Amino acid sequence: MEQENEFSGQESLALITKMINKARRDYLDTGLSALLWGSVITFCSLVTFANHYLDWPALEYVWWLTVAAIIPQIVIVIREGKDRKYRAYEDDLIGGIWISFGIAIFLLAYIVSVYHVAEPAPLFLVLYGIPTFATGYARRFRPMLIGGVTCWVLAIVSHYTPYPYTMLSLAVAAQLAWFIPGLIIRKRYLKAKAQHVQRS
Amino acid sequence: MFKDLNPILHSQLRLAVISILISVKEAEFTYLREKTDATAGNLSVQINKLKEAGYIDVSKSFKDNYPQTICRITPQGVRAFEEYVRDLQSYLNIKK
Repeated sequence: MEQENEFSGQESLALITKMINKARRDYLDTGLSALLWGSVITFCSLVTFANHYLDWPALEYVWWLTVAAIIPQIVIVIREGKDRKYRAYEDDLIGGIWISFGIAIFLLAYIVSVYHVAEPAPLFLVLYGIPTFATGYARRFRPMLIGGVTCWVLAIVSHYTPYPYTMLSLAVAAQLAWFIPGLIIRKRYLKAKAQHVQRS
Repeated sequence: MFKDLNPILHSQLRLAVISILISVKEAEFTYLREKTDATAGNLSVQINKLKEAGYIDVSKSFKDNYPQTICRITPQGVRAFEEYVRDLQSYLNIKK
């Protein structure tokens, strides 16, 4: 695109469309955050499920892993911010939604423990669905839309499911809402990165 | 009729830059270069023209000890782009 040639109206409209699509398609997350939380929640849920039968006291603290996972999450956010060459309009909005979710989930965990809620899984699943669906909606990313809806469906299912099977709902939700979309995003990211390296 | 189109925007590279900047909140110079396949020199000249017209804001800083140029469209740039698209559409409709 070096020349300042005269170009027709049709060409002009085609160029606008092409550039807008290029910028829109270019949204690329590394997928690491989704993979991290998908793995951590799946792991904690399955360990809790298994511990119902194993009954090892040490495993009761497995959910503290979610607190520890904040550290790699901060590292991921800082690195992604450094590598990002542009900011989309919805970036701040989506960032705000996930920060609110993070705060809400820890508050909910606190409230649930204070009030000794017998089966909190449906409450967590309802919350899981909100940022997941919102992100899928804003990014037009179907796997996260499906993941968000799945969380809400599983919230209803787990309301009628006895413990420890509710833990399996949490694990399935974490896989469908975060881990699998994370894998898809990661694959796209690595593919785009490889193409970029080839071009330069 | 065609000459009535905004001459600042009716240029391939400048229109490409504005079209990208209307889609994102802000973009680095390197990102614009990558998307438009332009040379750094030419892109720099066209960005300057858009800046002089008040259509974009350009801020320079340092990132990891390297100079970083960030461009974002101004409200005036948004209005100019919308008007350009309207003019283009009416031109194409008349032509039909």
